[in-house]
Amino acid sequence: MNIALAKIDLTDALAVWRRNLRVYLRLWKTELIAPIIEPIFTFFAFGFGVGALIGSEVENLSYLSFVGAGVLAFTVLMRTVFEMTYGAYFRMVYQSTYDAILATPVNAESLAFGEILWAVTKGAVDCIFILPLVVIFGSATSLFTPLSIVPLIFGCVYLGSLGLAITAHVHEIDYFNIFFALFFSTLFLCGAWFPVGNLPEWLQIVAYLIPTTSVIDLCRACLTGNFAARHVYEMFYLCVISILLLEWALRSIRKRMVV
Amino acid sequence: MNFAVEAKNLIKNFGELRAVDGISFGIKRGETFAILGENGAGKSTTMRMIACRSPLSAGELSVAGLNVSIEDRKVRSLIGVVPQENNLDPDLNVRENLLVYSRYFRIPKETAQARCAELLDFIRLNEKAEAKVEQLSGGMKRRLMIARALLHRPKILLLDEPTTGLDPNVRQEIWEKLEELRRTENLTIVLSTHYMDEAEKLAQRLLVMAQGKIVVEGVPRKIIENRVKKFALEIREADPIELQNVNGIISQRRGQTHIYFAENLERLAPLMSLYGSRQMILRPANLEDVFLQLSDAGAVESE
Repeated sequence: MNIALAKIDLTDALAVWRRNLRVYLRLWKTELIAPIIEPIFTFFAFGFGVGALIGSEVENLSYLSFVGAGVLAFTVLMRTVFEMTYGAYFRMVYQSTYDAILATPVNAESLAFGEILWAVTKGAVDCIFILPLVVIFGSATSLFTPLSIVPLIFGCVYLGSLGLAITAHVHEIDYFNIFFALFFSTLFLCGAWFPVGNLPEWLQIVAYLIPTTSVIDLCRACLTGNFAARHVYEMFYLCVISILLLEWALRSIRKRMVV
Repeated sequence: MNFAVEAKNLIKNFGELRAVDGISFGIKRGETFAILGENGAGKSTTMRMIACRSPLSAGELSVAGLNVSIEDRKVRSLIGVVPQENNLDPDLNVRENLLVYSRYFRIPKETAQARCAELLDFIRLNEKAEAKVEQLSGGMKRRLMIARALLHRPKILLLDEPTTGLDPNVRQEIWEKLEELRRTENLTIVLSTHYMDEAEKLAQRLLVMAQGKIVVEGVPRKIIENRVKKFALEIREADPIELQNVNGIISQRRGQTHIYFAENLERLAPLMSLYGSRQMILRPANLEDVFLQLSDAGAVESE
Protein backbone atom coordinates (compact mmCIF):
# COMPACT_ATOMS: atom_id res chain seq x y z
CA MET A 1 0.00 0.00 0.00
CA ASN A 2 1.42 3.31 -1.11
CA ILE A 3 0.44 5.99 1.41
CA ALA A 4 0.87 9.57 0.24
CA LEU A 5 0.86 10.93 3.79
CA ALA A 6 4.04 8.95 4.49
CA LYS A 7 5.87 10.84 1.74
CA ILE A 8 5.50 14.21 3.44
CA ASP A 9 8.76 15.84 4.44
CA LEU A 10 7.94 18.37 7.14
CA THR A 11 10.95 20.61 6.48
CA ASP A 12 9.97 20.86 2.81
CA ALA A 13 6.31 21.46 3.67
CA LEU A 14 7.39 24.22 6.03
CA ALA A 15 9.42 25.89 3.26
CA VAL A 16 6.24 25.99 1.15
CA TRP A 17 4.30 27.30 4.13
CA ARG A 18 6.86 30.05 4.68
CA ARG A 19 6.56 31.20 1.08
CA ASN A 20 2.87 31.86 1.69
CA LEU A 21 3.58 33.48 5.04
CA ARG A 22 5.98 35.90 3.36
CA VAL A 23 3.32 36.98 0.88
CA TYR A 24 0.71 37.20 3.64
CA LEU A 25 2.89 39.40 5.85
CA ARG A 26 3.26 41.86 3.01
CA LEU A 27 -0.50 42.13 2.64
CA TRP A 28 -1.55 41.51 6.22
CA LYS A 29 -3.60 44.67 6.58
CA THR A 30 -5.91 43.82 3.72
CA GLU A 31 -5.82 40.16 4.66
CA LEU A 32 -7.16 40.90 8.13
CA ILE A 33 -9.86 43.42 7.32
CA ALA A 34 -12.23 40.94 5.68
CA PRO A 35 -12.32 38.39 8.52
CA ILE A 36 -13.10 41.16 11.00
CA ILE A 37 -15.71 43.05 9.01
CA GLU A 38 -17.57 39.95 7.85
CA PRO A 39 -18.42 38.53 11.28
CA ILE A 40 -19.46 41.94 12.61
CA PHE A 41 -22.07 42.24 9.90
CA THR A 42 -23.08 38.62 10.25
CA PHE A 43 -23.68 39.29 13.95
CA PHE A 44 -25.78 42.34 13.12
CA ALA A 45 -27.78 40.40 10.56
CA PHE A 46 -28.34 37.14 12.38
CA GLY A 47 -27.84 38.11 15.99
CA PHE A 48 -29.93 41.25 16.00
CA GLY A 49 -31.92 41.08 12.78
CA VAL A 50 -33.02 37.47 12.77
CA GLY A 51 -32.60 37.18 16.55
CA ALA A 52 -35.30 39.83 17.12
CA LEU A 53 -37.79 37.60 15.29
CA ILE A 54 -37.00 34.74 17.62
CA GLY A 55 -38.57 35.38 20.98
CA SER A 56 -37.92 32.07 22.63
CA GLU A 57 -34.60 30.51 23.49
CA VAL A 58 -32.89 28.09 21.13
CA GLU A 59 -31.59 24.94 22.84
CA ASN A 60 -31.77 26.81 26.15
CA LEU A 61 -29.58 29.60 24.77
CA SER A 62 -30.42 33.10 23.66
CA TYR A 63 -30.32 33.25 19.88
CA LEU A 64 -27.24 35.46 20.01
CA SER A 65 -25.39 32.84 22.05
CA PHE A 66 -26.59 30.11 19.74
CA VAL A 67 -25.56 31.81 16.52
CA GLY A 68 -22.01 32.73 17.71
CA ALA A 69 -20.57 29.33 16.77
CA GLY A 70 -22.15 29.64 13.34
CA VAL A 71 -20.65 33.07 12.69
CA LEU A 72 -17.23 31.95 13.87
CA ALA A 73 -17.16 28.69 11.93
CA PHE A 74 -18.67 30.23 8.81
CA THR A 75 -15.97 32.94 8.57
CA VAL A 76 -13.01 30.70 9.41
CA LEU A 77 -14.02 27.80 7.15
CA MET A 78 -14.81 30.10 4.25
CA ARG A 79 -11.30 31.53 4.37
CA THR A 80 -9.70 28.12 4.20
CA VAL A 81 -11.94 27.00 1.37
CA PHE A 82 -11.21 30.10 -0.69
CA GLU A 83 -7.48 29.74 -0.05
CA MET A 84 -7.47 26.13 -1.25
CA THR A 85 -9.72 26.68 -4.28
CA TYR A 86 -9.17 30.03 -5.97
CA GLY A 87 -5.91 30.75 -4.13
CA ALA A 88 -4.41 27.34 -4.91
CA TYR A 89 -5.71 27.40 -8.48
CA PHE A 90 -4.03 30.74 -9.08
CA ARG A 91 -0.73 29.48 -7.76
CA MET A 92 -1.01 26.21 -9.65
CA VAL A 93 -2.28 27.37 -13.05
CA TYR A 94 -1.77 31.12 -13.53
CA GLN A 95 1.44 31.67 -11.56
CA SER A 96 2.95 28.18 -12.05
CA THR A 97 4.26 28.41 -8.50
CA TYR A 98 3.75 24.66 -8.06
CA ASP A 99 5.79 23.99 -11.19
CA ALA A 100 8.62 26.09 -9.85
CA ILE A 101 8.57 24.35 -6.48
CA LEU A 102 8.46 20.87 -8.01
CA ALA A 103 11.72 21.62 -9.87
CA THR A 104 13.42 21.55 -6.46
CA PRO A 105 13.84 18.58 -4.08
CA VAL A 106 10.36 19.29 -2.66
CA ASN A 107 7.96 16.52 -3.70
CA ALA A 108 4.28 16.83 -4.61
CA GLU A 109 3.09 15.50 -1.25
CA SER A 110 5.14 17.97 0.79
CA LEU A 111 3.99 20.77 -1.49
CA ALA A 112 0.31 19.87 -1.04
CA PHE A 113 0.74 19.44 2.70
CA GLY A 114 2.51 22.81 3.01
CA GLU A 115 -0.35 24.45 1.13
CA ILE A 116 -3.03 22.87 3.35
CA LEU A 117 -1.00 23.71 6.43
CA TRP A 118 -0.98 27.29 5.25
CA ALA A 119 -4.73 27.39 4.65
CA VAL A 120 -5.28 25.99 8.14
CA THR A 121 -2.94 28.61 9.59
CA LYS A 122 -4.87 31.36 7.87
CA GLY A 123 -8.10 29.98 9.33
CA ALA A 124 -6.53 29.75 12.78
CA VAL A 125 -5.24 33.34 12.63
CA ASP A 126 -8.70 34.54 11.65
CA CYS A 127 -10.15 32.53 14.51
CA ILE A 128 -7.90 34.35 16.98
CA PHE A 129 -9.12 37.70 15.68
CA ILE A 130 -12.77 36.73 15.56
CA LEU A 131 -12.98 35.13 19.00
CA PRO A 132 -12.85 38.50 20.85
CA LEU A 133 -15.73 39.64 18.64
CA VAL A 134 -17.71 36.58 19.65
CA VAL A 135 -17.04 37.50 23.27
CA ILE A 136 -17.98 41.16 22.71
CA PHE A 137 -21.26 40.23 21.08
CA GLY A 138 -22.03 38.06 24.06
CA SER A 139 -22.00 34.74 22.23
CA ALA A 140 -19.22 33.19 24.30
CA THR A 141 -20.13 32.47 27.86
CA SER A 142 -17.80 29.63 28.78
CA LEU A 143 -14.19 29.47 29.92
CA PHE A 144 -13.73 26.76 27.29
CA THR A 145 -14.15 29.38 24.55
CA PRO A 146 -10.48 29.36 23.39
CA LEU A 147 -10.77 25.59 22.86
CA SER A 148 -13.16 26.20 19.97
CA ILE A 149 -10.05 26.62 17.82
CA VAL A 150 -9.54 22.82 17.96
CA PRO A 151 -12.67 21.75 16.06
CA LEU A 152 -12.15 24.71 13.74
CA ILE A 153 -8.65 23.53 12.87
CA PHE A 154 -10.04 20.09 12.05
CA GLY A 155 -12.71 21.78 9.99
CA CYS A 156 -10.02 23.70 8.14
CA VAL A 157 -7.99 20.53 7.51
CA TYR A 158 -10.98 18.65 6.12
CA LEU A 159 -12.33 21.50 3.99
CA GLY A 160 -8.87 22.68 2.93
CA SER A 161 -7.99 19.16 1.78
CA LEU A 162 -11.30 18.78 0.01
CA GLY A 163 -10.76 22.16 -1.66
CA LEU A 164 -7.24 21.33 -2.82
CA ALA A 165 -8.26 17.88 -4.08
CA ILE A 166 -11.04 19.47 -6.12
CA THR A 167 -8.65 22.16 -7.37
CA ALA A 168 -6.32 19.40 -8.57
CA HIS A 169 -9.18 17.96 -10.64
CA VAL A 170 -10.41 21.27 -12.02
CA HIS A 171 -9.21 22.27 -15.47
CA GLU A 172 -11.34 25.37 -15.81
CA ILE A 173 -11.83 27.88 -13.05
CA ASP A 174 -15.59 28.07 -13.66
CA TYR A 175 -16.05 24.55 -12.31
CA PHE A 176 -15.56 25.97 -8.85
CA ASN A 177 -19.06 27.41 -9.18
CA ILE A 178 -20.50 23.91 -8.86
CA PHE A 179 -18.35 23.19 -5.82
CA PHE A 180 -19.37 26.43 -4.16
CA ALA A 181 -23.04 25.90 -4.94
CA LEU A 182 -22.80 22.56 -3.13
CA PHE A 183 -20.70 23.99 -0.34
CA PHE A 184 -23.05 26.87 0.40
CA SER A 185 -26.22 24.83 0.09
CA THR A 186 -24.99 22.21 2.52
CA LEU A 187 -23.67 24.89 4.87
CA PHE A 188 -27.26 25.91 5.61
CA LEU A 189 -27.96 22.44 6.96
CA CYS A 190 -25.05 22.36 9.33
CA GLY A 191 -26.58 23.97 12.39
CA ALA A 192 -24.96 27.38 11.97
CA TRP A 193 -28.18 29.40 12.01
CA PHE A 194 -30.71 27.01 13.54
CA PRO A 195 -30.53 23.70 15.46
CA VAL A 196 -30.15 20.61 13.28
CA GLY A 197 -32.95 19.08 15.41
CA ASN A 198 -35.45 21.37 13.71
CA LEU A 199 -34.96 19.54 10.42
CA PRO A 200 -37.01 16.51 9.32
CA GLU A 201 -35.38 13.31 10.49
CA TRP A 202 -33.94 12.24 7.11
CA LEU A 203 -32.37 15.65 6.65
CA GLN A 204 -30.86 15.43 10.11
CA ILE A 205 -29.04 12.29 9.00
CA VAL A 206 -27.75 14.12 5.94
CA ALA A 207 -26.70 17.05 8.13
CA TYR A 208 -24.75 14.86 10.52
CA LEU A 209 -22.96 13.18 7.63
CA ILE A 210 -21.56 16.56 6.62
CA PRO A 211 -18.52 17.05 8.88
CA THR A 212 -19.16 20.81 9.09
CA THR A 213 -22.13 20.01 11.34
CA SER A 214 -19.73 18.41 13.81
CA VAL A 215 -17.37 21.39 13.60
CA ILE A 216 -20.15 23.83 14.45
CA ASP A 217 -21.64 21.64 17.17
CA LEU A 218 -18.24 21.25 18.85
CA CYS A 219 -17.59 24.98 18.53
CA ARG A 220 -20.89 25.73 20.19
CA ALA A 221 -20.08 23.34 23.01
CA CYS A 222 -16.79 25.18 23.63
CA LEU A 223 -18.42 28.62 23.54
CA THR A 224 -21.30 27.70 25.85
CA GLY A 225 -19.75 24.96 27.98
CA ASN A 226 -22.57 22.50 27.27
CA PHE A 227 -20.70 19.27 26.45
CA ALA A 228 -22.36 15.94 25.69
CA ALA A 229 -21.32 12.39 24.81
CA ARG A 230 -22.02 12.93 21.11
CA HIS A 231 -19.15 15.42 20.98
CA VAL A 232 -16.65 12.58 21.42
CA TYR A 233 -18.06 10.80 18.37
CA GLU A 234 -18.06 14.06 16.41
CA MET A 235 -14.42 14.65 17.22
CA PHE A 236 -13.56 11.12 16.14
CA TYR A 237 -15.53 11.53 12.92
CA LEU A 238 -13.69 14.79 12.16
CA CYS A 239 -10.31 13.13 12.71
CA VAL A 240 -11.09 10.26 10.35
CA ILE A 241 -12.54 12.49 7.64
CA SER A 242 -9.62 14.91 7.89
CA ILE A 243 -7.03 12.16 7.44
CA LEU A 244 -8.88 10.57 4.53
CA LEU A 245 -9.35 13.84 2.68
CA LEU A 246 -5.77 14.90 3.35
CA GLU A 247 -4.57 11.67 1.76
CA TRP A 248 -6.89 12.29 -1.21
CA ALA A 249 -5.59 15.86 -1.64
CA LEU A 250 -1.96 14.72 -1.64
CA ARG A 251 -2.65 12.00 -4.20
CA SER A 252 -4.64 14.38 -6.40
CA ILE A 253 -1.87 16.97 -6.50
CA ARG A 254 0.68 14.32 -7.47
CA LYS A 255 -1.64 13.02 -10.17
CA ARG A 256 -2.14 16.51 -11.55
CA MET A 257 1.44 17.76 -11.34
CA VAL A 258 3.63 14.71 -11.97
CA VAL A 259 2.62 13.25 -15.34
CA MET B 1 29.55 5.75 -15.92
CA ASN B 2 31.04 9.05 -16.95
CA PHE B 3 27.81 10.42 -18.36
CA ALA B 4 25.95 13.29 -16.76
CA VAL B 5 22.74 12.00 -18.30
CA GLU B 6 22.28 8.56 -19.79
CA ALA B 7 19.10 7.20 -21.34
CA LYS B 8 18.48 3.66 -22.53
CA ASN B 9 15.38 2.81 -24.53
CA LEU B 10 13.50 5.62 -22.88
CA ILE B 11 9.75 5.47 -23.48
CA LYS B 12 6.95 7.79 -22.41
CA ASN B 13 3.30 7.16 -23.16
CA PHE B 14 0.42 9.53 -22.54
CA GLY B 15 -2.53 7.19 -22.85
CA GLU B 16 -2.52 6.03 -26.45
CA LEU B 17 0.08 8.55 -27.53
CA ARG B 18 3.75 7.60 -27.43
CA ALA B 19 5.57 10.90 -26.88
CA VAL B 20 9.05 9.42 -26.52
CA ASP B 21 9.68 6.22 -28.40
CA GLY B 22 12.62 4.21 -27.15
CA ILE B 23 15.45 6.72 -27.35
CA SER B 24 18.99 6.14 -26.08
CA PHE B 25 21.65 8.80 -25.65
CA GLY B 26 24.47 9.92 -23.37
CA ILE B 27 25.37 13.46 -22.32
CA LYS B 28 28.98 13.90 -21.21
CA ARG B 29 29.94 15.80 -18.10
CA GLY B 30 30.80 19.42 -18.75
CA GLU B 31 29.42 19.64 -22.27
CA THR B 32 26.57 21.66 -23.64
CA PHE B 33 24.11 19.34 -25.27
CA ALA B 34 21.11 20.38 -27.35
CA ILE B 35 17.92 18.46 -28.01
CA LEU B 36 16.35 19.72 -31.20
CA GLY B 37 13.02 19.09 -32.76
CA GLU B 38 9.76 20.63 -33.84
CA ASN B 39 6.93 21.20 -31.42
CA GLY B 40 5.56 17.86 -30.31
CA ALA B 41 8.74 15.97 -31.23
CA GLY B 42 9.20 14.84 -27.62
CA LYS B 43 11.93 17.24 -26.46
CA SER B 44 10.04 18.75 -23.56
CA THR B 45 8.83 15.36 -22.39
CA THR B 46 12.42 14.11 -22.43
CA MET B 47 13.50 17.17 -20.46
CA ARG B 48 10.71 16.60 -17.94
CA MET B 49 11.81 13.02 -17.43
CA ILE B 50 15.37 14.18 -16.80
CA ALA B 51 13.99 16.71 -14.28
CA CYS B 52 12.05 13.89 -12.50
CA ARG B 53 8.75 15.58 -13.27
CA SER B 54 7.46 12.85 -15.50
CA PRO B 55 7.70 9.16 -14.53
CA LEU B 56 9.15 6.89 -17.22
CA SER B 57 6.82 4.48 -18.98
CA ALA B 58 9.74 2.17 -19.75
CA GLY B 59 13.49 2.19 -20.16
CA GLU B 60 16.27 3.51 -17.99
CA LEU B 61 17.38 7.03 -17.23
CA SER B 62 20.20 8.06 -14.97
CA VAL B 63 21.20 11.59 -14.07
CA ALA B 64 24.57 12.20 -12.41
CA GLY B 65 24.79 8.44 -12.07
CA LEU B 66 21.52 8.21 -10.14
CA ASN B 67 18.38 6.37 -11.23
CA VAL B 68 15.66 9.02 -11.64
CA SER B 69 12.88 6.59 -10.71
CA ILE B 70 14.44 5.75 -7.35
CA GLU B 71 16.60 8.66 -6.25
CA ASP B 72 14.51 11.49 -7.62
CA ARG B 73 15.00 13.70 -4.59
CA LYS B 74 18.77 13.47 -4.85
CA VAL B 75 18.63 14.07 -8.60
CA ARG B 76 16.52 17.18 -8.15
CA SER B 77 19.05 18.56 -5.68
CA LEU B 78 21.79 18.19 -8.33
CA ILE B 79 19.99 19.79 -11.26
CA GLY B 80 18.85 23.33 -11.99
CA VAL B 81 15.73 23.67 -14.12
CA VAL B 82 14.75 26.58 -16.35
CA PRO B 83 11.36 25.68 -17.87
CA GLN B 84 9.97 27.04 -21.10
CA GLU B 85 7.54 29.39 -19.34
CA ASN B 86 8.88 31.81 -16.76
CA ASN B 87 7.40 30.87 -13.41
CA LEU B 88 8.86 33.53 -11.17
CA ASP B 89 6.78 34.37 -8.13
CA PRO B 90 4.80 37.55 -8.91
CA ASP B 91 3.94 37.96 -5.23
CA LEU B 92 7.61 38.46 -4.34
CA ASN B 93 10.31 40.89 -5.43
CA VAL B 94 13.50 39.90 -7.28
CA ARG B 95 15.62 39.19 -4.21
CA GLU B 96 12.79 37.42 -2.39
CA ASN B 97 12.31 35.22 -5.44
CA LEU B 98 15.82 33.91 -4.91
CA LEU B 99 15.73 33.77 -1.12
CA VAL B 100 12.39 31.98 -0.88
CA TYR B 101 13.49 29.52 -3.56
CA SER B 102 16.74 28.78 -1.72
CA ARG B 103 14.71 27.35 1.16
CA TYR B 104 13.44 24.56 -1.05
CA PHE B 105 17.06 23.46 -1.35
CA ARG B 106 17.65 23.92 2.39
CA ILE B 107 20.42 26.42 1.80
CA PRO B 108 21.27 28.07 5.16
CA LYS B 109 20.17 31.69 5.36
CA GLU B 110 23.63 33.32 5.35
CA THR B 111 24.83 31.16 2.48
CA ALA B 112 21.65 31.95 0.56
CA GLN B 113 22.09 35.68 1.03
CA ALA B 114 25.70 35.58 -0.15
CA ARG B 115 24.81 33.37 -3.11
CA CYS B 116 21.90 35.63 -3.96
CA ALA B 117 24.15 38.74 -4.06
CA GLU B 118 26.64 36.83 -6.21
CA LEU B 119 23.98 35.74 -8.68
CA LEU B 120 22.33 39.17 -8.89
CA ASP B 121 25.77 40.40 -9.82
CA PHE B 122 26.20 37.70 -12.42
CA ILE B 123 22.87 38.53 -14.11
CA ARG B 124 23.39 42.27 -13.59
CA LEU B 125 20.15 42.76 -11.71
CA ASN B 126 21.63 44.29 -8.57
CA GLU B 127 19.79 47.53 -9.04
CA LYS B 128 16.51 45.71 -9.53
CA ALA B 129 16.83 43.59 -6.40
CA GLU B 130 13.81 45.21 -4.76
CA ALA B 131 11.76 45.47 -7.95
CA LYS B 132 8.62 43.48 -8.53
CA VAL B 133 8.85 40.72 -11.09
CA GLU B 134 6.26 42.33 -13.35
CA GLN B 135 8.46 45.42 -13.68
CA LEU B 136 11.23 43.38 -15.31
CA SER B 137 11.74 43.10 -19.07
CA GLY B 138 11.51 39.73 -20.80
CA GLY B 139 15.28 39.36 -20.86
CA MET B 140 15.64 40.26 -17.18
CA LYS B 141 13.01 37.70 -16.22
CA ARG B 142 14.83 35.05 -18.21
CA ARG B 143 18.12 35.94 -16.54
CA LEU B 144 16.48 35.78 -13.14
CA MET B 145 15.10 32.34 -14.02
CA ILE B 146 18.63 31.18 -14.82
CA ALA B 147 19.98 32.68 -11.59
CA ARG B 148 17.26 30.94 -9.61
CA ALA B 149 18.20 27.61 -11.17
CA LEU B 150 21.83 28.15 -10.11
CA LEU B 151 21.19 28.95 -6.42
CA HIS B 152 22.19 25.51 -5.16
CA ARG B 153 25.22 25.17 -7.46
CA PRO B 154 23.78 22.37 -9.57
CA LYS B 155 25.96 19.98 -11.56
CA ILE B 156 23.55 19.98 -14.49
CA LEU B 157 21.51 22.86 -15.85
CA LEU B 158 18.38 22.00 -17.85
CA LEU B 159 16.97 24.71 -20.10
CA ASP B 160 13.75 24.14 -22.01
CA GLU B 161 13.61 26.55 -24.96
CA PRO B 162 15.72 29.17 -23.17
CA THR B 163 15.33 31.99 -25.71
CA THR B 164 11.95 31.35 -27.31
CA GLY B 165 10.05 34.59 -27.77
CA LEU B 166 12.96 36.87 -26.87
CA ASP B 167 14.42 39.75 -28.90
CA PRO B 168 17.57 38.97 -30.90
CA ASN B 169 19.78 41.11 -28.67
CA VAL B 170 18.35 39.49 -25.55
CA ARG B 171 19.02 36.07 -27.04
CA GLN B 172 22.66 37.05 -27.55
CA GLU B 173 22.80 38.15 -23.95
CA ILE B 174 21.42 34.84 -22.66
CA TRP B 175 23.81 32.88 -24.86
CA GLU B 176 26.74 34.84 -23.49
CA LYS B 177 25.71 34.00 -19.95
CA LEU B 178 25.41 30.32 -20.79
CA GLU B 179 28.80 30.29 -22.47
CA GLU B 180 30.29 31.98 -19.44
CA LEU B 181 28.74 29.39 -17.14
CA ARG B 182 30.08 26.49 -19.14
CA ARG B 183 33.56 27.98 -19.20
CA THR B 184 33.79 28.99 -15.56
CA GLU B 185 31.62 26.52 -13.66
CA ASN B 186 32.26 23.25 -15.50
CA LEU B 187 28.51 22.88 -15.68
CA THR B 188 26.79 20.34 -17.89
CA ILE B 189 24.13 22.22 -19.83
CA VAL B 190 21.24 20.44 -21.51
CA LEU B 191 18.99 22.60 -23.61
CA SER B 192 16.05 21.92 -25.83
CA THR B 193 15.37 24.27 -28.67
CA HIS B 194 13.87 24.58 -32.09
CA TYR B 195 16.32 27.31 -33.04
CA MET B 196 19.10 25.92 -35.17
CA ASP B 197 21.39 28.89 -34.62
CA GLU B 198 21.07 28.42 -30.89
CA ALA B 199 22.09 24.78 -31.04
CA GLU B 200 24.88 25.47 -33.48
CA LYS B 201 26.27 28.28 -31.40
CA LEU B 202 26.05 26.69 -27.97
CA ALA B 203 26.14 22.92 -28.24
CA GLN B 204 29.18 20.71 -28.58
CA ARG B 205 26.86 17.84 -29.40
CA LEU B 206 23.19 17.53 -30.16
CA LEU B 207 20.43 15.21 -31.18
CA VAL B 208 17.42 15.86 -33.34
CA MET B 209 14.08 14.30 -32.42
CA ALA B 210 11.03 13.71 -34.58
CA GLN B 211 7.89 11.88 -33.51
CA GLY B 212 9.49 10.70 -30.32
CA LYS B 213 12.58 9.19 -31.95
CA ILE B 214 16.13 10.32 -32.51
CA VAL B 215 16.66 11.21 -36.14
CA VAL B 216 20.29 12.21 -35.98
CA GLU B 217 22.86 12.69 -33.26
CA GLY B 218 26.40 14.04 -33.01
CA VAL B 219 28.68 17.07 -33.34
CA PRO B 220 26.89 19.92 -35.18
CA ARG B 221 29.62 20.57 -37.79
CA LYS B 222 29.96 16.86 -38.56
CA ILE B 223 26.23 16.40 -38.89
CA ILE B 224 26.08 19.24 -41.38
CA GLU B 225 28.95 17.81 -43.39
CA ASN B 226 27.61 14.29 -43.37
CA ARG B 227 24.01 15.07 -44.05
CA VAL B 228 24.11 18.04 -46.38
CA LYS B 229 27.17 19.33 -48.14
CA LYS B 230 29.40 22.15 -46.96
CA PHE B 231 27.95 25.02 -48.99
CA ALA B 232 24.49 26.16 -49.88
CA LEU B 233 23.13 28.32 -52.66
CA GLU B 234 19.74 29.77 -51.90
CA ILE B 235 17.61 31.40 -54.62
CA ARG B 236 14.49 33.27 -53.56
CA GLU B 237 11.33 33.43 -55.68
CA ALA B 238 12.85 31.07 -58.17
CA ASP B 239 9.65 29.48 -59.25
CA PRO B 240 9.15 29.73 -63.00
CA ILE B 241 12.56 28.06 -63.36
CA GLU B 242 12.71 24.31 -62.86
CA LEU B 243 14.58 22.88 -59.88
CA GLN B 244 17.84 21.57 -61.38
CA ASN B 245 19.19 18.09 -60.92
CA VAL B 246 22.95 18.04 -61.17
CA ASN B 247 25.25 15.18 -60.25
CA GLY B 248 26.92 15.65 -56.86
CA ILE B 249 24.59 18.47 -55.93
CA ILE B 250 21.64 18.08 -53.59
CA SER B 251 18.70 20.20 -54.66
CA GLN B 252 15.77 21.10 -52.53
CA ARG B 253 12.65 23.23 -52.81
CA ARG B 254 11.24 25.16 -49.86
CA GLY B 255 8.14 26.95 -51.01
CA GLN B 256 9.29 29.51 -53.58
CA THR B 257 12.94 29.03 -52.70
CA HIS B 258 15.39 26.66 -54.36
CA ILE B 259 18.41 25.47 -52.43
CA TYR B 260 21.43 23.61 -53.75
CA PHE B 261 24.07 21.99 -51.57
CA ALA B 262 27.58 21.14 -52.80
CA GLU B 263 30.98 20.18 -51.45
CA ASN B 264 32.68 23.28 -52.91
CA LEU B 265 31.67 26.68 -54.16
CA GLU B 266 32.85 26.12 -57.74
CA ARG B 267 30.23 23.48 -58.28
CA LEU B 268 27.50 25.94 -57.40
CA ALA B 269 28.70 28.76 -59.65
CA PRO B 270 27.21 27.42 -62.92
CA LEU B 271 23.80 27.29 -61.31
CA MET B 272 23.97 30.96 -60.39
CA SER B 273 24.05 32.08 -64.02
CA LEU B 274 20.92 30.07 -64.63
CA TYR B 275 18.87 32.19 -62.25
CA GLY B 276 20.08 35.52 -63.61
CA SER B 277 19.18 38.50 -61.51
CA ARG B 278 17.12 36.72 -58.85
CA GLN B 279 18.00 37.24 -55.22
CA MET B 280 20.68 34.71 -54.28
CA ILE B 281 22.60 33.84 -51.17
CA LEU B 282 25.75 31.76 -51.14
CA ARG B 283 26.52 30.54 -47.65
CA PRO B 284 27.91 27.68 -45.55
CA ALA B 285 25.32 25.01 -44.89
CA ASN B 286 23.83 25.20 -41.41
CA LEU B 287 21.93 23.03 -39.03
CA GLU B 288 18.65 24.41 -40.24
CA ASP B 289 19.32 22.79 -43.61
CA VAL B 290 19.79 19.45 -41.89
CA PHE B 291 16.80 19.96 -39.74
CA LEU B 292 14.49 20.90 -42.58
CA GLN B 293 15.68 17.99 -44.64
CA LEU B 294 15.15 15.60 -41.79
CA SER B 295 11.73 16.88 -40.90
CA ASP B 296 10.69 17.08 -44.55
CA ALA B 297 11.68 13.53 -45.16
CA GLY B 298 9.65 11.76 -42.53
CA ALA B 299 11.12 8.66 -44.17
CA VAL B 300 14.45 9.11 -42.43
CA GLU B 301 13.05 8.24 -39.11
CA SER B 302 11.55 4.97 -40.28
CA GLU B 303 14.90 3.66 -41.52
